[in-house]
Amino acid sequence: MNFLEKWSDKLSGYFEKGKPLHPFQAFFNAADTFFLTPKTITRTGSHIRDAVDMKRIMITVMIALVPALLFGLWNIGYQHFRSIGETATLWQSFWYGFLKWLPLVIVVYVSGLTVEVAFAQHRGHNVAEGFFVTGFILPLILPPDIPLWIVAVATVFAVLFGKEVFGGTGYNFLNPALLARAFIFFAYPSTISGNSVWIAEAGDAVTGATPLGIINSQSVSQMPSVMDMFVGTVPGCIGETSKIAILIGAAILLVTQVASWKIMFTTIIGGYLTAALLNYAGFGGSFAVPAYEHLLMGGFLFGAVFMATDPVTATHTQTGKYIYGFLIGVLAMVIRIAGQGYVEGIMLSILLMNIFAPLIDYCVVRANIRRRKKRMATSGKVRI
Amino acid sequence: MRKNKTNIHNITRGYDILLKGEAAKRISDYECHNYCISPDDFRWMTPQLLVEEGDTVQVGTPLFADSNNAKIVVVAPVGGEIKSIVRGEKRRIESIVIAGNGQKEAEIALPENFDKENVKDLLLRSGLWTCIRQRPFSVIANPDDTPKAIFVSCFDTTPLAPDLNFILKDKKEEFHKGTELLKLLAPVTLCMRQNADNSIFEGIEGVEKHYFSGPHPAGNVGTQIHKINPINKGEIVWFVNPQDVVTIGKLALYGKLSFEKTIALTGPCVKEPHYFKMTYGADISGLISNSLDTTPTVRVISGNVLTGKHLADHPSVRFYDSQITVIAEGGEREFIGWLLPGLKKWSFSHTFLAFLTKKHKYNFDTTLHGEARNFVMTDIYEKVFPFDIIPLELLKACLIKDVKKMEDLGIYEVEDEDFALCEVVCPAKTECQKIIREGLFTVKNS
Repeated sequence: MNFLEKWSDKLSGYFEKGKPLHPFQAFFNAADTFFLTPKTITRTGSHIRDAVDMKRIMITVMIALVPALLFGLWNIGYQHFRSIGETATLWQSFWYGFLKWLPLVIVVYVSGLTVEVAFAQHRGHNVAEGFFVTGFILPLILPPDIPLWIVAVATVFAVLFGKEVFGGTGYNFLNPALLARAFIFFAYPSTISGNSVWIAEAGDAVTGATPLGIINSQSVSQMPSVMDMFVGTVPGCIGETSKIAILIGAAILLVTQVASWKIMFTTIIGGYLTAALLNYAGFGGSFAVPAYEHLLMGGFLFGAVFMATDPVTATHTQTGKYIYGFLIGVLAMVIRIAGQGYVEGIMLSILLMNIFAPLIDYCVVRANIRRRKKRMATSGKVRI
Repeated sequence: MRKNKTNIHNITRGYDILLKGEAAKRISDYECHNYCISPDDFRWMTPQLLVEEGDTVQVGTPLFADSNNAKIVVVAPVGGEIKSIVRGEKRRIESIVIAGNGQKEAEIALPENFDKENVKDLLLRSGLWTCIRQRPFSVIANPDDTPKAIFVSCFDTTPLAPDLNFILKDKKEEFHKGTELLKLLAPVTLCMRQNADNSIFEGIEGVEKHYFSGPHPAGNVGTQIHKINPINKGEIVWFVNPQDVVTIGKLALYGKLSFEKTIALTGPCVKEPHYFKMTYGADISGLISNSLDTTPTVRVISGNVLTGKHLADHPSVRFYDSQITVIAEGGEREFIGWLLPGLKKWSFSHTFLAFLTKKHKYNFDTTLHGEARNFVMTDIYEKVFPFDIIPLELLKACLIKDVKKMEDLGIYEVEDEDFALCEVVCPAKTECQKIIREGLFTVKNS
């Protein structure tokens, strides 16, 4: 790649301070390090470093999302053709879904990255990789037919007010992708809730309601089978339907140790126990659904695997991660099952726990400090 | 003391970095003409110069004293003439260069029998007091303090660390004598490797013995103090390197002051890595040029790759080090390196496929592998940090220079070297060691 290196060296001259293209330095650096790994060497501290960097971490998360994405693309087409009463080949369905997804992802990346790069340039930083994952996740948690301008507004809002005003990736306390979704959810509810938005250009051959919607409207006879929900051939957000694909992603995240198993498992355990408890209490409706089916419905699993585990907005202490994950699971099920008017609870429960994460951390840190003070007191006694 | 549950410690959170170029177990002699002594070897010491250019010095002649405590002196390790005093910015003394005349030993008058006061006096007089450092801060111990213990770590777990069992194999008597002397100053704790041959270190009466197993940083004195006798605010623990215990023992046994040490020359760029006998301060440029492969650019490090110092102009091994590591300078750019499978890349994380292959030794170079970012991965430090301390919180407290918070979170128990592994594995390339060092500096001066 010698010619690329030479080219990069030559171009970098134009972006230095005082040169005409300096205002685009952050953009150039992002593009440059995209193609070629940076040539920096260690200056202080340890002389050797791990080969891993934020780019590698982020690409690993994106790879973990690919199974859910691929299935989601096919499912958009599959649901569409099913609702208009036609049959389509695998390729036709996939292509249809791809054409629905492509504008979404372009709009998200263009609008989000514009804000991101502008802030990086303004602050004299390099562009952080965080948004690449945010931008990849966001279309997966949206319905396929959502108006693009709403997506653009939501993305800009989330990046600007969820992240950049606090200092950028690493300083945000709310998950930006979920914040964008919550923005749409509260500002334009009709585009992201109800029973008619989940299938692209839906016909009326089948119901367009998600399994959770069906339960909520008490028409249990239309419930898809457990197997359908597990495989994912049901209406819903693009990436959330296939539990198999999400579990493959979870396996990738756990094996590569990119996501915290503590959060992932405690969220699922918290959700399962709460659903089981509410089911035991038994008031009918969504209370009547067995706990394991609750885990297969809606975005619960997707949230537990990909969004609760966001290391920046989760608790930073290890003990805190257990508490944080467990409470996300509990709250998600409480909102979903007992909350009137909110069909799905995982988005709100993660955002709520994002806000409480610093409090959990504070308590864990206080416990550590208390332990040290106690030790000091006993040590003092021994010495006397 | 026999082994029992309370003195066996298993370190689980840590990591052994496998680097190529381990020193073979044979010793050569290394002679050179010039010796460089640098005040930088002694942390935060402000030197008060006691010699001038052109002076003739003997082994044991004080070169400079600590301006905060004139009793603590750094002495000439060889006899000869002061060739030059190299100064840096603001006339800071960078090094003192002695042209050696071949004298490597000096006779020192010994007291008839040893007690606490005359041991202190002997060590201060001979310049060997500098061997004793204190935690917190890793500065030279203050002879007027009363430490709660003296720790000696009898094994080293850093990458390519010298094998102390090999280095000290004929020095058992000296080690024992040195430990006897230290025992007069404060209770001594010896930390040994579990399931290893500890015959050199065993058999000393009246010392506490502890056994450690597990990966690095099990051999770091900081880890050992934390597990055995953690430092609370206001407490002091002294620690001494085993080779320095031998130097003290030699003085006490034979009345001879000598700064000879066995140094391991290691690293993937060294032709035949093995041990060298040399005197502290020896200019190693001759040694390096003779033992390198024909690699284009290398970095010569005094110490190990985690905490060592990059040697540039006047290469000599630092006072407390017994190792030289030579690795290649990196900086090669790779096309879309963040996307490739990475079958040959070393990473603590499992994000490169290399983690699936068998563990083998790597040719590390100095590439940073990425750019600095904000903290993002919040659970990676704990995996290599065996303290009951929350590393991320402590680093944050250091960054905001909040002394109260740092104290609460355990700053007195750590040293920058304890954060070396955190720094290595950090995907955000955070300079943890620098942050902790600056935090300690803030605490010390508050």
